[in-house]
Amino acid sequence: MRRLLLGISAVALALWALLVGGAPAMAADTTIGGVIKSDQEAVPGVTVNVSDETGFVENAISDEKGRWRVVVPQAGTYTVLIETDTLPPGVSLRDPDRTSVEVTVGEGQTKSVLFPTGDAPVSSTSKLDQALQLTVDGFIFGLTIALAAVGLSLIFGTTGLTNFSHGELVTFGSLMAYFFSAIMGLPFIVAAAAAVFAGGLFGFLQDRFFWRWLRKRGTALIAMLVVSIGLGIFLRYFYLFIFGGNTRQYAEYSGQAGLVLGPIVVTPKALVGAIVAVVFLAATVAWLRFTRMGKASRAIADNPALASASGIDVNRVISIIWAAGAGLAALAGVIYSLSNGVSWISGFGLLLLIFAGVTLGGLGTAIGAIVGSIIVGTMIQLSTLLIPSELKNVGALAVLIIILMIRPQGILGRSERVG
Amino acid sequence: MAGTTIEGRDDHLRAAEGALVRIDDVIAGYFPGVNILNGCDLYAQSGELVGIIGPNGAGKSTLLKSLFGLVKVRSGKVTFDDKNITNKRADKLVSMGIGFVPQNNNVFPSLTIEENLQMGAFQEPKAFHSRFDEVADLFPALAQRRKQRAGSLSGGERQMVAMARALMMEPKVLLLDEPSAGLSPALTDEAFVRVKAINKTGVTVIMVEQNARRCLQICDRAYVLDQGRNAYTGTGKALANDPKVVELYLGTLAKA
Ligand SMILES: Nc1ncnc2c1ncn2[C@@H]1O[C@H](COP(=O)(O)OP(=O)(O)OP(=O)(O)O)[C@@H](O)[C@H]1O
Ligand SMILES: [Mg+2]
Repeated sequence: MRRLLLGISAVALALWALLVGGAPAMAADTTIGGVIKSDQEAVPGVTVNVSDETGFVENAISDEKGRWRVVVPQAGTYTVLIETDTLPPGVSLRDPDRTSVEVTVGEGQTKSVLFPTGDAPVSSTSKLDQALQLTVDGFIFGLTIALAAVGLSLIFGTTGLTNFSHGELVTFGSLMAYFFSAIMGLPFIVAAAAAVFAGGLFGFLQDRFFWRWLRKRGTALIAMLVVSIGLGIFLRYFYLFIFGGNTRQYAEYSGQAGLVLGPIVVTPKALVGAIVAVVFLAATVAWLRFTRMGKASRAIADNPALASASGIDVNRVISIIWAAGAGLAALAGVIYSLSNGVSWISGFGLLLLIFAGVTLGGLGTAIGAIVGSIIVGTMIQLSTLLIPSELKNVGALAVLIIILMIRPQGILGRSERVG
Repeated sequence: MAGTTIEGRDDHLRAAEGALVRIDDVIAGYFPGVNILNGCDLYAQSGELVGIIGPNGAGKSTLLKSLFGLVKVRSGKVTFDDKNITNKRADKLVSMGIGFVPQNNNVFPSLTIEENLQMGAFQEPKAFHSRFDEVADLFPALAQRRKQRAGSLSGGERQMVAMARALMMEPKVLLLDEPSAGLSPALTDEAFVRVKAINKTGVTVIMVEQNARRCLQICDRAYVLDQGRNAYTGTGKALANDPKVVELYLGTLAKA
């Protein structure tokens, strides 16, 4: 059973990884664009030149938000050149030799090109300091993934559902936090708490009126997996429809200066987010280990029929698990969006890493999911020392495959006594 | 109609008056259109020890599960304490006073022995400690190893954990599916003695057994199930001496 699910998730993940490469083509225009910033400040008035071999040439000038955009006639490879003499005094490219970039853009896609400015932190820090910084960043990122992964793992453990719409629960949290703070005008902390609560409620209702109904009808697990993929797509495009395709920042805490702790720089919001994540993860583990409901959910994961025969109201416990798991996912969304902005697709982008964390730790164990996620997060960041950062998620996948070859049951998974 | 019974169905129905547990003409199965039970009758008076025997695949486990709400009853009626409990959810039945020990997968492997028993007392967490002490008297081996994961126990030890778990709620009726399965001869005897002891404390027991001869020795009454119907019923002694039952279900050698 376990092995089967592991196989299914691996295949599904591979498919998903293929799909995510070709992100949805919503806008009909094929465009190349970017934002020019210096020290978090937008740089307006910079000329960028886009051309190709067929003779297409067009200039764009960055606006007051530092944005520039060129609509190109068709898919293909273009040369993007920044005219460095239009940069204002005191602003220079981080890599002075990198004034032009070759990019390939697909039909209907938007390709973004960045020209980093200012002093390169890379040149001033040693490899060791850099590795230290990346480890800390990765650990904090891993904690965020872990929040979502624990919920995924608990839902999988108690209901057998491999939920491919879990990323949308993450996105839901950040969208709700944005709604409560930017639209309702609540202070961010209050908005975040409300978002987590709303996320829990969303999970509860999803289970109560959708998944429970499918379970009752005896829907096969593979069918439910496919349904969850469909639900994920539906929710994603619903979010896009409501929220639009832009990434938006919260009004509060957006351009926060980093705290310098020895060789490491961390923004206070990332630090607070990490501490909140640790508190919630510890509470979840303690809940599973020591409380009556927590034990009941482990009992259901072992054997639902026997749990029912012991007097446990299985559906009620599953409702609680769904609410808690979705609430934790929403919290992950809030913490993630605090540093990375709110967007309709952010949860989907994390889904692969969440699955990697859960699978790595051993399916169905909460502590395993946490440990696995932290390893995944750290590995991703550290891998950028060696490989281009565009490929960092691929590095995480490679680690996942290697570890599963050595320990098929995951890092903390136990092989059960047979017979 | 139920199949041939020694007393005839009418006598059986009359004897079932006022019984604590009654199953009347139950049809049940797993897959649509395939009935495993084809009209079963069974009753247990308060305090009785009732055995169910029969060949493999006769539907013995299915009968217990349909009584306990784990298999859907398609027609017929299940009654407990004069209340209709047909297709009632298992956890509700536990709170009414029915305990069930399944034949397979009868413990939570990733939970410790103590946690397994806690799950048995899920609905009455306050009573856990006093109940644990009582159950520990019955199964002294368990108390010493309470922190051990049930998944690492042997088959016989799991049986003990499972039975102890079912006793945590002080059930009025205990349903046992093959309590002696996989036990060595010495432990089989011990298991039967224990079942008898539990029954002596006033718990009504309905027990499915593969070990038919031993089962008939300790039962007040027993049913022989064949192809989803109760083929014979009577006191344990009467069945053990019935030539047809002996020939078909106990083996010809076994004339005692
Ligand atoms: N979960 C199930 N799903 C589908 N069919 C089942 C299931 N459990 C049992 N059956 C079928 O029901 C029939 C009766 O099974 P049951 O387990 O009740 O027999 P039994 O009398 O307890 O046998 P045994 O002595 O081997 O335990 C068998 O033909 C079996 O294939
Ligand atoms: Mg059986």
